[in-house]
Order: sequence, then C-alpha cells, then structure tokens
Amino acid sequence: MRALYGSVLCLGMAVRCIAATSEVTTDSNADACAGAEIQLKSLSTNLNRNQFSVAEDRLTLLKAEHPDCSSILLAEARIKASQGAAEARDLFARYLEKVPNDPAGLAYFARFLIDQGQYQQADELSDAAASQDVKNPAALAVRGQILIMKGQPKQGEELLIKSCELDPDNAESQFQLGVLYDRTKRPGEAVKHFQKVVDLDPGYASAWDYLALNLEPLGEVDRADAAYRRGLEVNHEGQQFDAFLDYNYGRFLAKRNRLAESKLHLDRAVELVPDYRDTWYDRAKLNLRIGNYAQARSDAERAASLTEETGGILNLQVYNLLEQIYRRLGEKELADKYANLTRQTPPPTRKGSESTPSQ
Amino acid sequence: MNNPTSHHRLVSLTAGLLIALVAREMRTQPPTQNAAGISFENRQPQSGVDFVLNNGTTVDKPIIDSIPGGVALLDYDNDGFLDIFFTNGARIPSLSKEGPGFYNRLYHNNHDGTFTDVTEKAGLSGTGYSIGVAAADFDNDGWTDLYVTGINHNILYRNNHDGTFTDVTEKAGVSGVNSAGKKLLSVSAAWIDYDNDGRLDLFVTNYLDWSPETSKVCGLPGKRLSCPPSLYPGEPNILYHNNGDGTFTDVSKSTGIADQIGKGMGVAVADYDADGWMDIFVANDNQRNFLFKNRRGKGFDEVGVEAGVAYTEDGIPVSSMGVDSRDYRNDGRPGIFITALGGETFPLYRNEGNDLFSMETYPANIGFSTYKMSGWGAGIVDLNNDGYKDLFSANSHVSENADIDPQQHYLQTNAIFENMKDNTFQDVSAHAGPGLSLRAAHRGAAFGDLNNDGKVDIVVSVIAGHAELLYNTTANGNHWLLIQTIGTKSNRDGIGTQIKLTSQSGSVQFNQVTTAGSYASSSDKRVHFGLGGDTLVKEVTLRWPSGTVQTLHNVKADQILKVTEGAL
Repeated sequence: MRALYGSVLCLGMAVRCIAATSEVTTDSNADACAGAEIQLKSLSTNLNRNQFSVAEDRLTLLKAEHPDCSSILLAEARIKASQGAAEARDLFARYLEKVPNDPAGLAYFARFLIDQGQYQQADELSDAAASQDVKNPAALAVRGQILIMKGQPKQGEELLIKSCELDPDNAESQFQLGVLYDRTKRPGEAVKHFQKVVDLDPGYASAWDYLALNLEPLGEVDRADAAYRRGLEVNHEGQQFDAFLDYNYGRFLAKRNRLAESKLHLDRAVELVPDYRDTWYDRAKLNLRIGNYAQARSDAERAASLTEETGGILNLQVYNLLEQIYRRLGEKELADKYANLTRQTPPPTRKGSESTPSQ
Repeated sequence: MNNPTSHHRLVSLTAGLLIALVAREMRTQPPTQNAAGISFENRQPQSGVDFVLNNGTTVDKPIIDSIPGGVALLDYDNDGFLDIFFTNGARIPSLSKEGPGFYNRLYHNNHDGTFTDVTEKAGLSGTGYSIGVAAADFDNDGWTDLYVTGINHNILYRNNHDGTFTDVTEKAGVSGVNSAGKKLLSVSAAWIDYDNDGRLDLFVTNYLDWSPETSKVCGLPGKRLSCPPSLYPGEPNILYHNNGDGTFTDVSKSTGIADQIGKGMGVAVADYDADGWMDIFVANDNQRNFLFKNRRGKGFDEVGVEAGVAYTEDGIPVSSMGVDSRDYRNDGRPGIFITALGGETFPLYRNEGNDLFSMETYPANIGFSTYKMSGWGAGIVDLNNDGYKDLFSANSHVSENADIDPQQHYLQTNAIFENMKDNTFQDVSAHAGPGLSLRAAHRGAAFGDLNNDGKVDIVVSVIAGHAELLYNTTANGNHWLLIQTIGTKSNRDGIGTQIKLTSQSGSVQFNQVTTAGSYASSSDKRVHFGLGGDTLVKEVTLRWPSGTVQTLHNVKADQILKVTEGAL
C-alpha cells in the first residue's frame, strides 16, 4: 500500500517525492500510520514551511487517530523543537528508538541540538544522517550547515544546494543557503533564497531581515525597506523572534536620511540587545550625526565597555568614533587619547592570500 | 566652438589682505535655462587618438598590472587648446618599454576635434613602467612641463618651447628614490607651492614595496587575481622643494612627510582650513588616508584621524584609489571625494570647518549606487554648468579575472552623480549619453575643456582598450567662465590660487587652481565655473599664494578669462 502510494506520488513529482517517501517509508511501525499518509504529507509540508501552529492542529487530530504512528512522534518533536522546548530532546530520542537511523529524524534532532548550542552532538548526528541517505534533503541541509560552521563552506554549500534541489519548499534549507551567501557577500544569490523562504513562510522575521540586508547592496532600497517593514510586522516574541531586526532597519533608515525613524529603531535595538556592542555603536554614530554629542558620547563609551567579541564592531572603530565625538565636544585631551589609540590600532586587511605561482 | 579669450577686467586690487573667502554665504541658485540632462559622447573613434594602455600583464597578474595609467590635459604649445598625454606600462618583469606599444603618448590638439600623435617629436615616449603624470610650469617660464611617475623610473621633462621636451630628472634630483637610493613605486604626483615662495614644489605618492622578485601570486592558476596590498609593506611619500634653479631638494624628512608610511594612490591638494597654505590629501589603499596640514610652509602635520578623513565613518579603511578635493556645497570649504572598490562605497567627506570633516556618502545619496562600483579616476566638477559641482568616477574592478565571482565585474561603466543643489547627488550615469555606457577597464581620468566650448570634457585611460575622449554634449544653454591665472609674485601657473565667484543672481562659488586630483592624472589648470542662466559675474576674487587678493567686477560670462597677478 505504501509502496504503491509512493510510486504514484513520484510519477508527477520526481524530486519532492523523495522527501515524502523517505520520511514515510522509514517508519518501522508502518501499519500504525496506515490511512494517514496524505495527512502526514500535509503535516510534513507544514513543518517544512515553518507553519507550526497549523501543524500542531493537524497533529492533534492525527495523534488521536494514530497514537502509535512514529511519524507523528517525529512531527511532535519538531514542533516542540520550534518552540525551543526541552522536551523535544526526549521526543526525538523516543522517535529514534522506534525508527533507528532514520536520516530525517537524525537531521531534525541535529538541528534542534544546534539551536541548543550542542554542536558536538549535532555534528555527530548530522554526519550519521547524511551517511544514511545522501538524498535526504533534511539530512543534507543540516550537514551542510554544520560543515559551514566547521569552516568547510564549499562542502557545506554543495550539500545545501543539493538539499534545495531535492526539496525546494524546505524553508530551512533555503534559509541556510541564503545565510551562507550572505556571509560570503553574494547578495544576488542570497536574495533568491531568502525570497523563497518568505514565500514559503511569510511569518519568518529573520528571513525578511536577511532579505532586506541583501537587497541593500543591490541598490534595491525600496524593496529592502518593504522587506524590513514586513519583517517587523511578523516579528513576535517567541523562539522565532529576531532581536536584530530593529538594529538593521535603524541602520538602513540612517543611510536613507530618515534620521528620526532611525533613532526610534536604534533606541529599541539597544533595549533589545543591550550587551551587544554594535547597537550602541550605531546609535552613537547616529547621535553624532544629528549633533546630539552628549548622548553620542554615552553610547560610544558603552560600546567601548563591551568587548569586540560582543558583535562585529572592532576596537578601532570605537576609538575612531570616540575621537570624533570628543573632538566635537571640545574635549581635546580625550580626543587626542582616542586619536592615538586609533593610530596605534592596526586596521583590518583586505581578504586574499598568496598562492602557488604558475610554472 | 572656439570661444574668444580676453584679458581680465580688474576693478580693484587689494594686496596682502586675506579676505574671508570661507564665510558662509547665503546660497542663491543661479537660474538654469532648461533642464537638459548631463550628456557625454565618446569621440575617440574620430579623434585620431589611438592610444591603448598596455599594462604588460602576465598570467600571474602581478599587483602592478592594475595600477596604470594616468592622463594629463595640458596646453604644451600654448596655442590655447588642451593636448593629451597618456602614461603607459612596460613589459613585465623587465619593466622596460619594449616597443612602441608601451610608449607614453602625447597628442596635439588640432582644434578641429582631431589630434596628432607627436610623441616621438616631443621626446616623450618614456622609460620604464610609467604610472602617473603631473603637468605644470615648474620653472616659471610660461611653458607647461611634465612629471611622469612610475615603478622603476620617475621622469621630469622640461618644455623646450618648441614642441620638444628634455629629460632633466637627474639634474633636478626628482627621480623618486629614497634616502637609501632605493626607487620607490610612485603612482600620482601633484605640483604644489607648499611654502608660497613662488616656485612649484612636487609631491609624489608611493604605493608599496614591489619588485619582480618579490611579486606575490594570488588566486587560482589560469584565473589569477590581483593580490591584496596587505601582502606588501607600504612606502613613504616624497616631497621635493623647488630650489628655483632647476634643482629640487628632497624635504620629505624635514617636513614630516616621510614619517608616514602608507600605500599612496591618488593625491589632491586644497586649502581645507582656509589659512592660505595648501594642504595635501593622500588616498591610501586599504590603510588610513593621510591629510597633511600645512604648517605655514615649514612642514606638515598628518591630521587625517583628527579631521575624520583617515577612515570611513565606520572607522575602517577602504581601498582608496582616486581623490579630488573641492567645494561641492558652495560653502567655501573643500570637501573630499574618494573612489574605492566594490562593496566599500565611495567616501564623500563634507568639510565642516574647524578642521573637521564628516562622511556624507549615504546622506549625499551616493552610498547605495557606489557600493557596486570600483573606481579609479575621480572628479568634483560642474558638468552641466549649473553652478553646482557634480561627481565623476572612472570605474573598473582591480582584477582582470574578477568575474570568476559572479558579483564582480572587471569591465564597468563610468559614473556621474549630478549635484541636486540640496547637498545630495543623483546617479544619472544611465541617462548621460552613449559616452557613459561604455564598459571598460577604466583607470586615470583628467578633466578639461578640450574644445573651449565652456563645458568640461573628460579623458579616461583604459587598460587594453582605446582611451575614451568623453566630450560634454550637455545642451542646456547654461553659461560659464574659465579662468586662467598667470602668477607674477606667485608661481607662474597660479597654482594654489583660491577663487570666489559671485554671479549676477547672487550665487556664490569657490574653486582653486590646481592640476592635481583624480587618479595618477593631471587636469586642465584653468578653473571652470558654471553660471546657470547668468550672463554676468558680479565679482571674482582671487587670493593668490603670494597673499595678493585681487577682485574683478562685472565679468561677462562665456569666456576664457586670463588674469595676471597684480595687473591693473
């Protein structure tokens, strides 16, 4: 019955069926899920599109009708994982007891562990997942993510691309590939993937944020503005909350000379992430620009009190900013102090390295 | 096409007084006759200028292959029309001009839109791997001389007044070597009378310590990329003091110039603090920029950090290439415009006065546009004669193989940012005529009025391609004034003279006499002003380097005005 279902489904959807069949047919307790295939498929789609509340409703019904179906257990684990709930770990473990070595189960468990900061275990599980099935999109996506984190971007990119090809509607795969392109400064490619993510999951605030950030360098400022605003609309408290959306939008608005609006968002940004150097730094810059030197000094000194590790702003940048603020405040001694620190601090260098010469 | 030139109408002369040229003025916009957009046409194909910049590149793409070459617009034969000089590369690794394809070139302006190659007659084919050029009358004889910078040779050519030049480098002592006798890798040069003694001194930017033996290789075999400058040590710049007898003295150490080690590319000169002494800005590649504040001719203090121009507003360096420093806000304070690489934006600094600048790249609306560009030649020039200076950048990625990254493009179009008269600019490149649609490996750019029609034209050198002669075809009927200064107490070219112009409608503009700025290039020494719909200039005030202040009244528009220092 299941084989037939899988074959029929695969006739018209050669790529997407792999994801569906891989999750359905690996269930060793298949009979327990009999009759729920279509609902399970829909459930899987909801989960891949991050439609967790819809998935939760669907799950409640299914659970009542198929209490022993292991696929439902996996879905429940994924929903709990999306909420950051600790019980997700137990649900994943129970699922893997029932369906050992299921690549999807291993993969989703690994992603949960990444979110929990348990990278070593996530590495092992993702490796096992990808080894089990080289065509499982979830396994490829999480393994790709791990490889990028381990400093193997090319290998990671290959897996993420493959994952997106196998299951273009997996929001998380698309998101992770977009993040990779964002980090490697390939905004044109990043935009394609983040746009796909928000098409799949319009409630994904971080994806809107990343989309906007990558539209900026392309000069698509109106589209970027719209993306930031959409992101803010859906940025609700909870596991998916993007604490940096206000920060990024505030910086963007400053570039567009909308200084009052920028100030509102940067004010909110320092409230949301007060231990992050970048927020204070950028609000200090804005205050300097609008001539609010006293507040600029306060913000920049706060940025200086935080270490380089808390954000991407370098000591050099903070010194340079403080120099400019104190110069305008007429505090020559402090301005000179920071001028000296600015001069003494080596700047970052343009990336590039020597290679073996041609023979 | 050939506008008449006339001598100045001097109404009053005030010697020794420094009037407050920098006072904030109430800005009144000159009336514009119509709104026709800025437009350029490349007339190289019919010009007879067949120069192709040959960088002598090899498969390993050494860092030097990206940095030539310069353009100079000068009237070497004093016939009233600008001629064109190009620097050229050489074979690598020999660094010698093995054949005419590597010669520097001088083209004589035939006054009819065509040019004749007079290189060999002039004796300017050059030696070694040339990079930049600076033109000015260093010996005050009324004829423009040339200084050519390069990797292994810098050359000073004295104009013989007969269409030929003589290499006087050795006698003059300006070969570009340091105190240890090592030739430094020179890129740009600027003629500046830093001590206001009436003789032009010479400032030379030096890049980094490269030689064929120490050349690094980056990127993949077959697709090598230009190595980042961080792989090489930087070098100090050089300042030569003109002794007035055909010789110069290297004063780099005594003036404090040599204390700063950078990676100098472009250089611009301006009196940014309005104290009557010309200051020097050096654009450094991926290091902090230098602003050398003139200590009244006694030396320089490097104040880039204090002034806020060493780094971007984000406190980091960019790959600064070309630079120009002029007053783009009509407030009497020269700002600074720098070209840089893609992903960095082009820094634009507003001069706040009180020795402080603030970066205005995004506030001035050029941030998002320039993020995608890599620029070399740079200019702050009024391209539509509306009384407000616009911005120009000559663009191309640094690496010939840049396109292996789909986000990068080696061949790029040049860019024009029109001054919107509200302290912002608009990227009008896509609508600025066919001359702005050419994708090429643009490098140096020089600005000047090639056909004396009152509109500033642009000549751009192109690696492995024909140079572009971008004629300004903007057809808005706006009026203009070109001022040619002739110093008597001051240096003969009047370089360093500060000019304030008040037109009929009350609008006020400021500019200065200099051939420096852009990248490795040298522009028309005549000072250009767009006047919008005004046909009369109420007042022109010139503050000469000697201290002489000279005021002209009721000057007619649309002429090339020659002003002799102190003449009545």
